Amino acid sequence: MNAAGMAASLTRDWGVDQPWLLLLLALALLPFAATAFVRRGIASTLLVPDDALSKAVSLGLRLAGSVAIATIVLGLAGLHQREQAIVRQGTGAHLVLLLDRSSSMDNSFADRAPSGDQEAKSVVAKRLLVDFIGRRPRDRIAVSAFSTSPMPILPLTDHHDVVRAAINAIDRPGLAFTDVGRGLALALDSFADDANESSRAILLVSDGAALIDRRVQEALRDAVIRTPVHLYWLFLRSRGSKGIFDIPPPGEDTPQANPERHLHLFLQSLGVPYEAFEATSPQAVERAIAEIDRQETRPLTYVERVPRRDFAHAAFAAAAVAIGLLLAAKLGERALTRAMPAAPAGAGHTGAAPMRRAA
Amino acid sequence: MSEAPGTHHAQARVHAPLHAPLAYRLRWRPEGVFPGAHPGHGEGMEGEFRRLVPLLRQPDPRRLDLRASLRDPFGDLHVRQFAPRRAVALAALVDVSGSMRFGEAVRGRVADLCGLLALSAVRAGDSFALFSCDAHLRDEASLPPSRRRGLEEEVRQRLMAVRPQGRGTGGLMEAAERLPARRSLVFLVSDFLIPLDELDRLLDALWRHDVIPVRVADSALEDALPRWGLIEIADLESGASRLVFMRPGLRERWRTRARAHRDALAHSFARRGLRDFELNDRLDHEALARRLLEG
Repeated sequence: MNAAGMAASLTRDWGVDQPWLLLLLALALLPFAATAFVRRGIASTLLVPDDALSKAVSLGLRLAGSVAIATIVLGLAGLHQREQAIVRQGTGAHLVLLLDRSSSMDNSFADRAPSGDQEAKSVVAKRLLVDFIGRRPRDRIAVSAFSTSPMPILPLTDHHDVVRAAINAIDRPGLAFTDVGRGLALALDSFADDANESSRAILLVSDGAALIDRRVQEALRDAVIRTPVHLYWLFLRSRGSKGIFDIPPPGEDTPQANPERHLHLFLQSLGVPYEAFEATSPQAVERAIAEIDRQETRPLTYVERVPRRDFAHAAFAAAAVAIGLLLAAKLGERALTRAMPAAPAGAGHTGAAPMRRAA
Repeated sequence: MSEAPGTHHAQARVHAPLHAPLAYRLRWRPEGVFPGAHPGHGEGMEGEFRRLVPLLRQPDPRRLDLRASLRDPFGDLHVRQFAPRRAVALAALVDVSGSMRFGEAVRGRVADLCGLLALSAVRAGDSFALFSCDAHLRDEASLPPSRRRGLEEEVRQRLMAVRPQGRGTGGLMEAAERLPARRSLVFLVSDFLIPLDELDRLLDALWRHDVIPVRVADSALEDALPRWGLIEIADLESGASRLVFMRPGLRERWRTRARAHRDALAHSFARRGLRDFELNDRLDHEALARRLLEG
């Protein structure tokens, strides 16, 4: 445990599974104390010329032995790179898609159940949003939805597959009503733990609005001051519903009568860059999204999570290379003389026979 | 490995004439009083004929040379003069430092050589002494001067039993001091892998004696070095080891260096009028006999 703590403090990025095996790293000093070769006695090394290449080879082989032992130990100990968050630079934004899941989204722009070649608003929104995120690979995107109450779906993420799946799900039959205020509050919350200096945007996709509670309004103002964002409202306007830019005759301009227009006014009053797109047809939606796409391209610092990577195989491969070197050297080992064995065996025998005769 | 038994047989055959002593000549006349086989200093009654002198110069009519006297037109009488036969002391100074373990030199050819020298000395009536030296004189492997029979067996046994170790040549200097005070024939058996100034000091200490340096070498080491490969060599004296990556260029440099060392040794010997005898691989009796007769 203690060793594990030490290892963790030694390096934040790298880790091993069995820290106690690292004690064996001391063995890596062995090649500097011992030799893999047979020592051939020679009368005097004075006669052997000094040779830089020999010294280099000697040092190289010792290092190879050291590396082989060290990498085997590291491999056995299970060397790996810990799960990491890498900060990268890109162009894009932190984007929250706030999707209206009220049942009116299931209708076409003609505010009827879709039939024939007419598309439901949610299907149009889905298709266009999928295209949209497909063009913006660097964005971190969160998805939230709202209906009677807000639904967090995805936190800010780099994984666009998930985002795509979340968007693909919005053409499911919708729920009851529209509570934009709490939805916006939820979307702003998505940025709460996002300390990044990148551009943040909320893309609100809805086909209607509702009255925002005064308390919720205050909360939203607070939240926007804390986390400045760009607001885009893609208003999928059905035929017959009131536009957000139309100024109704005086006396009818009440939030109850024109919730969309008053939401627009409220968002304008928040004091952050805000733009509303009133889309009355699929083509208009497309134009609106292209506009957002154009505006939200700023340098973005984003964090990429890299999962743990095992380096045991790499360590063993390095060990194999080092051992291959040593093996080649060992195979290249020669005796001091080509013909004679290094030490004539049984030299004591040499004189026995003649001495017997001499005696 | 497979040739090891064959090598033994070959060595056994070579050892066969060990009991045939070699004759050796001296280039100088030994002093001393022991009668022996070498023409010595002074005038003798018998032995090797030296010259004829007039009777008046050596009034010893017993040695009168009648034929020479009759042949002399002036009618002078001539007397034969002989050199006395004197014994000489032989000594073998054997380096048994760690480097001599290479190729089991001491137990093999050096023991053969010293046994043969001891036998030859005893047969010629000379004394033979053995000094084994590493950093110090090693008494257990040494023998004081002796001329008793069977000495060669003893010399061999001492040398077979010794395990070369240690480093340096201090023992050789000690042995040089224990040599007889009279000029002797000294065989200095070593691989001479010592610094040249040390060798000079040793030869200075042996100035009095007739030194025959016997250089123990291993021809296989120079000729049979592999061209390619890795060899871990360990110095037998210091124990330091290092890896050598053999390749033709390095092999050539190695051999050049060995040759240069050999030449330097030969030069060092030649300055003192010495000539080394190379004890290569195994004892070559013919070459040794020739060398000893050359004096």
